Amino acid sequence: MDVTNTVGGIASHYLRVDVESTAGGARGAVDDGRVLTIRDLSVEIRRGERVIRPVSGVSLSLDRGETLGIVGETGSGKSMTGLAIMGMLPAGGRVTGGSIDLDGEELVGLPPARYRAIRGDDVAMVFQDSMTALNPTRRIGEQIAEPVRLHRGASKREARGRAEEMLALVGLPRPAERLDDYPHQLSGGMRQRVMIAMALACEPRIVIADEPTTALDVTIQAEILDLLDDLRSRLGMSMILITHDMGVIARHADRVGVMYGGRVAETGPTPVIFRRTRHRYTHALLSSIPSLTHDRDEELFSIPGTPPDLTVLQEGCPFAPRCEAATDRCRQERPELSAEEDGHTYDCWHPASGPATGERARFTTARLPLPGPEEPPRLRVVDLRREHPAGGRRRTVKAVSGVSFEVAAGETFGLVGESGCGKSSLGRMLVALDRPTSGEVIFDGEPVSGMSARALGPRRTQLQMMFQDSNASLDPRMRIGTILREPMAIQGVGGRAQRTARARELLRDVGLPEAVLERYPYELSGGQRQRVGLARALALDPKVLVADEPVSALDVSIRSQVLNLMRRVQLERGLSSVVISHDLAVVRYLADRVGVMYLGKLVEIGTTEEVYGAAAHPYTAGLLAAIPEADPDARPPREAAARVRGEPPSPVDPPSGCHFRTRCALATEVCAGTEPPLRAVTGTHRVACHHPLRPVAEREGAWS
Amino acid sequence: MTWYVLRRLVVSFLVLLGISAVVFFLLHLVSDSPGRVVLGQRASPEAVAAFNRDNGFDRPVVVQYVSYLGQLAQGDLGRSYKLNENVGTLLWQNAGRSAMLSLAGLVLALVIAVPLGILQAVRRNSLVDRAATALSYVLYATPSFLLGLVLIAVFSQALPVFPAEASQSHSPWVVFTDPRSMALPVITLAVTSVAIFSQYQRSAALDQLGQDYIRVARAKGLPERLILTRHLLRNACLPLITLVGTLVPTLLAGNLIVESLFNYPGLGLLFLNSLQREDYPVLLAYTLVGGVLTVAGNFVADLVVAAADRRIELRK
Repeated sequence: MDVTNTVGGIASHYLRVDVESTAGGARGAVDDGRVLTIRDLSVEIRRGERVIRPVSGVSLSLDRGETLGIVGETGSGKSMTGLAIMGMLPAGGRVTGGSIDLDGEELVGLPPARYRAIRGDDVAMVFQDSMTALNPTRRIGEQIAEPVRLHRGASKREARGRAEEMLALVGLPRPAERLDDYPHQLSGGMRQRVMIAMALACEPRIVIADEPTTALDVTIQAEILDLLDDLRSRLGMSMILITHDMGVIARHADRVGVMYGGRVAETGPTPVIFRRTRHRYTHALLSSIPSLTHDRDEELFSIPGTPPDLTVLQEGCPFAPRCEAATDRCRQERPELSAEEDGHTYDCWHPASGPATGERARFTTARLPLPGPEEPPRLRVVDLRREHPAGGRRRTVKAVSGVSFEVAAGETFGLVGESGCGKSSLGRMLVALDRPTSGEVIFDGEPVSGMSARALGPRRTQLQMMFQDSNASLDPRMRIGTILREPMAIQGVGGRAQRTARARELLRDVGLPEAVLERYPYELSGGQRQRVGLARALALDPKVLVADEPVSALDVSIRSQVLNLMRRVQLERGLSSVVISHDLAVVRYLADRVGVMYLGKLVEIGTTEEVYGAAAHPYTAGLLAAIPEADPDARPPREAAARVRGEPPSPVDPPSGCHFRTRCALATEVCAGTEPPLRAVTGTHRVACHHPLRPVAEREGAWS
Repeated sequence: MTWYVLRRLVVSFLVLLGISAVVFFLLHLVSDSPGRVVLGQRASPEAVAAFNRDNGFDRPVVVQYVSYLGQLAQGDLGRSYKLNENVGTLLWQNAGRSAMLSLAGLVLALVIAVPLGILQAVRRNSLVDRAATALSYVLYATPSFLLGLVLIAVFSQALPVFPAEASQSHSPWVVFTDPRSMALPVITLAVTSVAIFSQYQRSAALDQLGQDYIRVARAKGLPERLILTRHLLRNACLPLITLVGTLVPTLLAGNLIVESLFNYPGLGLLFLNSLQREDYPVLLAYTLVGGVLTVAGNFVADLVVAAADRRIELRK
């Protein structure tokens, strides 16, 4: 991560010279500080008979050295705007109007050869990390060197040297040794660093980062975004940061363009957008984000309806059908651009007058009283372990290694942790979809983990699961009605008519119209499908519901609808549920108690207030600090101790002692030697750490 | 890696043992009296019995099989009933020319199919793509003897460009030394493979074109041609390598028809003639060669794929 030493070495002879003069533009006679100006840009994509208009009339500008955030939900046109700048629209796509001006050069209609010379050299792009973003069969060194060879005409050796410099610059340890690695040998965070190195190898004037951290864990996301920020200022670039995450915008963008339905709804300096929100969509969007400080007895604000259909030519404001302030004028007339000082502009007939507060309803259903401590828990997990063979001589992935907790009747237990920490493996064992290697899951006093399939059959009605990807978890060839009736049919509940009646009832409970019964999953939106997933899980009136990443695939505005629904269902039915998510805000909203998992172990467990308000484990504190809050005034993580560094080690070969010690700022010798037991902070709060952030009882398990 | 190769070799050996057993017993069912075959229909039963006894053909079939294995271990494939020649020598004399024909057919097929498949993927749903796909189905469905006959009718009879008979030279280098006379057999052999390979290549390339690294390459400013050759080609060929590996033995079967059609003295022709002559040791050996090719084809394909794609670790 030591960037300082390497930067000096960058100005190699084959690099552009004018990069260094960041403030003074060498190109235009009069420099206004603008690098990129997009005026009234429209894009359409033809797919057979259908014409989609992902971008219609977008105007944005980018100044030298600044970061412009483009924020929006799926289908808002934010990515397509980025691709239009790159001249890389998908097949059938073309720019139908407007202009893109890069330092005086018009990009729309540029001959392909000239565009290629700009791409990767003047304007570069960082894509979302996916396993396939790097060519799997070529060494990373060659892949980074490629643009340098192409645009700078560097020799093989020079380009290799440059690739090494770039790897050092993006913080890969021992870069010279990594050059010959293949992408699959790197972790997700490392691959994203390589991707950045590749994009910046020619020191572009503009880098477009399209959801650069969406596939990464929150601790790694923070590191990657800080790296991008740092490189932007060091190399004097301008950056367009495309994201769906208002938190990322708040922390990393100088100015913001909020997009909705292919248009820019509102644009301006980041603090202004958050404090003097004008457009009704921005306002609603900001209100619907579950924050770490939200009052849990209030419903989340949610935007009704779904985003607009981009194949239909829009008359008025695209947000009008979902806007509570909409009038006839909004539906008929496209809003005029209004401008305030500081370059704050918005397209809205009925602008809001300030920061998002959002009048939220309080839950009307009083929650059922939780049973006293003397009552037996509904679900008890005792020293649960699960190992998978790792394909090698006696090597195993230790997915879950010794987890114990209890869930009371009517209680919601949240499990948080980064990808690969074993939370999903644990979830599957809770509902008996998978068998533990050792340990027990005890449901209402009976050990379900050891039961035969036959004995388990009827008990399955009581243990249900809601999956993350409702697109994959609903059979595409079944109608929704059949999907909802199937669990009842398998368990022999009622006759056909009764089952259909019950399916109707379920749909009503999850807020879907009855007509959905006859639909197929592909005819529904993501939010609707997730509601069906919940309805299916509730069909047999289970006592325990495990929801694995229930809203991760959904856009913010839809997410809050589903979260409110889940919370209402929990309160009304007195279900015991386990909510599994990497998203701490989601778990905080839904759960009464929370367990934090790291590499197969629970490192902290306590009530939601305790874990979020007084985290005792350095990992929990680090996770909380890494979440970018949707508030530009939110202080960035203070002390370095609160930052989690690096990436999680492999669960095949976890570190000795405390699994977290390799990433912990407080780790000492004792952490490597002995594994910390769970010790009590309060009667309900326990932590497994040798150097807890709160005072703990001396002995293991005291206080309880 | 070494362990992997050793294990695969052991497994291959067992598979071949199994093949040899099955074929040996099947042939024994068809003809349990080699003496009758060798001495002919007019020989006396006594003479036949004496021949069988002298050569050990009256022993239990299991014993015969074991002694056959013993011979195999010494590299002896037995003696032809009819040609008074060692089977190994017979195979060896013909194998080179068959291999040459197959190899030429395979190379020609790949040279056409790989670029064609990629072109089809890049121009998907265009006229070129649709036409190539349609043609592929037609050619795939055409039996090679029919195709061969049509080719002879057109290019040998109607327009005498190529001879109808393949070169009779005994040198395996005939394909290079006498390309004109080998044109029709090689083309006939290649056409069916082109049809399969190009469709396979098309779908593999389509799959890869949708991957993000292609977009990344475009974002670097690479021209399309370099994107295809540097980034797409290797990844899109990986599935084809496996396919070619499994198809190696079918090339041998293809030879059967092509060799007899063009009267090309190779393994295929030897097999057909031996079939008519009921020359079982040759048939048995030919089948074993097919088995070896199947096993070796898959094995080599796996090694090549692992070498080309470092994500694949050879173990277990």
